[in-house]
Amino acid sequence: MQQPLKHIIRENTFWLSPDRVMYWEEEKSLIVADLHFGKTGHFRKSGIAIPQNIYKEDLQRLVSAVQNFKPQQLIITGDLFHSKANKELDLFLKWRNDLSSLKIHLVKGNHDILPDEWYEKAGFEVHQQKWEFQDFCFMHDPCDPDQRSKQTMTYSFTGHIHPAISLRGSARQSLRFPCFYFKKNYSILPAFGKFTGTHLITPEEGESAYAIAGNRIIQVA
Amino acid sequence: MILPLKNTEGHRIVTEWLSSQKLQPFSFQEETWQYIIDGKSGLVNAPTGCGKTYSVFLGSLIQFINLHPDDFRKRKNSGLQLLWITPLRALAKDIARAMEEAIAGLEMNWKTGVRNGDTQTAERSRQKKQMPEVLIITPESLHLLLAQKGYAELFSSLKIIAVDEWHELLGSKRGVQVELAISRIRGCRAQFTNEPLQVWGISATLGNMEEALAVLLSPLNQKGKMVRAGTKKEVYKKHYAASEYKLNARRSFLKKETVGEGMIIESILPDEIEKYPWAGHLGIKLIHKVIPIIRNSRTTLIFINTRGMSETWYQKLLDECPDLAGAIALHHGSVDRELRYWVEENLHSGKLKAVVCTASLDLGVDFRPVETVIQVGSPKGVARFLQRAGRSGHSYDTDSKIYFLPTHSLELLEAAALKTAISRNFIESRMPMVLCYDVLIQFLNTIAISDGFDPGKVFQEVSSTYCFKDMSGDEWDRIIHFISSGGNALQQYDDYKKLEWENGSYKINDRHIARRHRMNIGTIVSEAMLKVKYVGGGYVGVIEEYFISRLQPGDIFTLAGRNLEFVMIKDMTVLVKRSSAKRSIVPSWFGGRMPLSANLGKVLRETLTSVKSEKQIFGSDPTLSNTYSESPELNALLPLFELQQQLSYIPKENELLIEQIETEDGFHLFVYPFEGRLVHEAMAALLAYRISLQTPITFSFAMNDYSFELLSDRPVPVDDSNVYELFSPENLMEDIQRSINSTEMAKRKFRDIAVIGGLIFQGFPGEQKKARHLQNSASLLFNVLSEYEPENLLLRQSYTEVMEQQMEEARLRDTLKRIQGSKIIIRFPQQLTPFCFPVKVDSMREDLSSEKLEDRINKMIMQYEI
Repeated sequence: MQQPLKHIIRENTFWLSPDRVMYWEEEKSLIVADLHFGKTGHFRKSGIAIPQNIYKEDLQRLVSAVQNFKPQQLIITGDLFHSKANKELDLFLKWRNDLSSLKIHLVKGNHDILPDEWYEKAGFEVHQQKWEFQDFCFMHDPCDPDQRSKQTMTYSFTGHIHPAISLRGSARQSLRFPCFYFKKNYSILPAFGKFTGTHLITPEEGESAYAIAGNRIIQVA
Repeated sequence: MILPLKNTEGHRIVTEWLSSQKLQPFSFQEETWQYIIDGKSGLVNAPTGCGKTYSVFLGSLIQFINLHPDDFRKRKNSGLQLLWITPLRALAKDIARAMEEAIAGLEMNWKTGVRNGDTQTAERSRQKKQMPEVLIITPESLHLLLAQKGYAELFSSLKIIAVDEWHELLGSKRGVQVELAISRIRGCRAQFTNEPLQVWGISATLGNMEEALAVLLSPLNQKGKMVRAGTKKEVYKKHYAASEYKLNARRSFLKKETVGEGMIIESILPDEIEKYPWAGHLGIKLIHKVIPIIRNSRTTLIFINTRGMSETWYQKLLDECPDLAGAIALHHGSVDRELRYWVEENLHSGKLKAVVCTASLDLGVDFRPVETVIQVGSPKGVARFLQRAGRSGHSYDTDSKIYFLPTHSLELLEAAALKTAISRNFIESRMPMVLCYDVLIQFLNTIAISDGFDPGKVFQEVSSTYCFKDMSGDEWDRIIHFISSGGNALQQYDDYKKLEWENGSYKINDRHIARRHRMNIGTIVSEAMLKVKYVGGGYVGVIEEYFISRLQPGDIFTLAGRNLEFVMIKDMTVLVKRSSAKRSIVPSWFGGRMPLSANLGKVLRETLTSVKSEKQIFGSDPTLSNTYSESPELNALLPLFELQQQLSYIPKENELLIEQIETEDGFHLFVYPFEGRLVHEAMAALLAYRISLQTPITFSFAMNDYSFELLSDRPVPVDDSNVYELFSPENLMEDIQRSINSTEMAKRKFRDIAVIGGLIFQGFPGEQKKARHLQNSASLLFNVLSEYEPENLLLRQSYTEVMEQQMEEARLRDTLKRIQGSKIIIRFPQQLTPFCFPVKVDSMREDLSSEKLEDRINKMIMQYEI
């Protein structure tokens, strides 16, 4: 596994890991987006046999990221769970129990449809639309017009669109990779869950993007 | 004891009725009737339009009359007697009409029913209460019937299953559906009667008739009878000799036509041949030559290979001949079904002057007013061309005429080859599909939602079909395991639910799962489709989501021959307004593109050889250039051949041409095997892989039916020293599997398999919303299965299908063997040649790389531009 890459925003240091997580050095925070936990279970409950190992591996990846970075808090910018409660969430709760000292902030995404009590019981701090912390703002949908108008001053971290970038070579070849995408006033994190689709983005002048290619992370813009 | 047909009451009554109509049965019909009353099964090989429907249907009536000689007229509600499986919904109504005519003429109390996707719910429940004696059904609807509680009883009185147009079903997954349905019906019927079930197929001529019969009757475990009618001309000649009656040409029963024998093919030649044949441009340019043909004929069918092109043609025809508005119609799979019915009705009644259509009008009863058929673009195979030519209702003693209109000039070569192939009666075979686990999984779920199934019993039935005869007990166990416990799981954290074990059988009890499954029954997988409606109400048709997603509100597009302005998407419905704009975007549909058949490819290569010899004569004596050839197509192509010869080479039958050309795009390698798109796709992957073993190099591919192209950013190391090795059939399987691992082929196959096997829920157009959290893309599913459950049966099947159908492995192997025995000619033209142009413009490209991912990424980054 390649070492994380450093990206500086407003004099803060963020480490981008090919494990699809971002570590904020100054605040000792681990930031992730779009985990979609319970998605395989949701499909399976409907008779569609998606292998559950995807979910198991996602959870393990999160655990090892927490063990590596030893954050004081975990910030989730939405879509922690894919749909309604199912047995797969019990496995998540078990993990949560083992790490009960870790503070978790969840900014709710469009998929987070569980009742608020559920999150409270699991020991999350839930934020309905956004959470402002230090000079930064955490929210789910970067295109949400209500929230965007208020965020011009602060820098935001978002998710929702599962960004990917297509790299083209000569002879009309192209490959597609999930990516971290940094715009002027906000960034979009890659989806953490592996059982998720992606949406192609095209960086403009002055923006940055880091592609996740297997075990590597590469700055491409 | 065999009862001679002519001594039976049924025969007497049926022939009396026929005589009263001034008709007399054909000999192949009587042959079939005899077999039917003997309780036999078999296959009737007869061309369309000479009474093939009546061969089996009247046989069934004769059988019934013989069983009830005293009260056959009075008997009603006799239960289902004849199940008539037909591949096309459009056929059902016409077949029912022909049958009802006979039933009324015989004053019998039989009823006919139609059951397909268009059947109203009220009619369905009426049928459930009282089955008609004859039920005309599609394979999909038959499976839906098996999803109905208490279905077994419906078949208790059934005598005969007829499978119409078996040549169309064989070789497709719909054919497998038919095989499975026959095996199940036979199995559940056994609890009511000891009488053997009879199965009769009806088929046009195929290269493998005996195999077609064997596949169909495999569940009955018997050999069966083959009834061969011969060509139409033969049928009628024989009939005339024996008949003292005058033929009544008005009746569909004895409509007079010829197919194959006595057919004239005329190519519509451009005035000037383009030396560089850009694909897809020429067709429309020839429209002014089409218009007089339409004007001089009663009704003309214009067959276009793609729906997108058919929209364009329809528009252009209207632009050119505004006076024909209302007399020209458009017919393809995305046109609203009411409109399609209207078109078919008006074709029958002769009110239409011309219909622009796709394969949607390939099958079925003929439209009598149709005098002329125009085929635009390559029909890709001999059988398909014959089928389309047969749509015209010419009198049997004159020759039928079909026009061939090329879409690029090289297709004229194909026209010349088609003529040769038809004169030799060189018709393609259809290979039956085997071990289609996706269809089996769907079928097992289907019978699990109705009455459940006993795995031991159903295993016996399933393995009686041709498709699954080689399935091992182990594979069966894995399928049952997959659908009952859902593959890899985390035991106590799993909610998987589908099949449940209950009193010795597997059942699906969850109503939602059952409902979703019913919606998903079928093996024709389309792209995600959206309904198109006017803002003010009114349904236009359906359209691919992919196409709409690229439009902005205000854009104009064409659907069902109308120019529409895109307003918005609401509730998964595309809302549009009428538009009078002149310019519009024509949707592209991802229809199944047929590859050139092996038969046609072979004749094509022979045809090129004759060009070659002409060229030599012409070379020594230029005055012969325009007079030598007897083929107008080859004559027309002489300028193109001349340029090809000058820049490169024209390969003979026993030669393979390779061209290496450098352009600003990079280094091109063109190879010309003339083996069809699928084999070329496989050969391109194979060649790219083998070259890349020698030196790290990355290619993109393009291919068409004549040739394929490898394109790289560096010179391609293919020369006399390694070329035979690169095309060697040795280690074919291993190399192919390695080469396609890094391509998209299996992934593309997987989409259909995953939908059929129930891993992707498609829903109906406009209904996706309800299942939002169950949406999933095939490529994502393919990736996660490859990573987390590589042994998954459906995943494996996608690789098998790639080998057998996509790669056409057997044909690929034959091709490589042929190449080993031929002379490989490598040329280095200084510019693009006429032969390479069509493939050059083909945009279908695939990646294959042996360079390390990192190297490749680095290389790309260097070239990457924002």
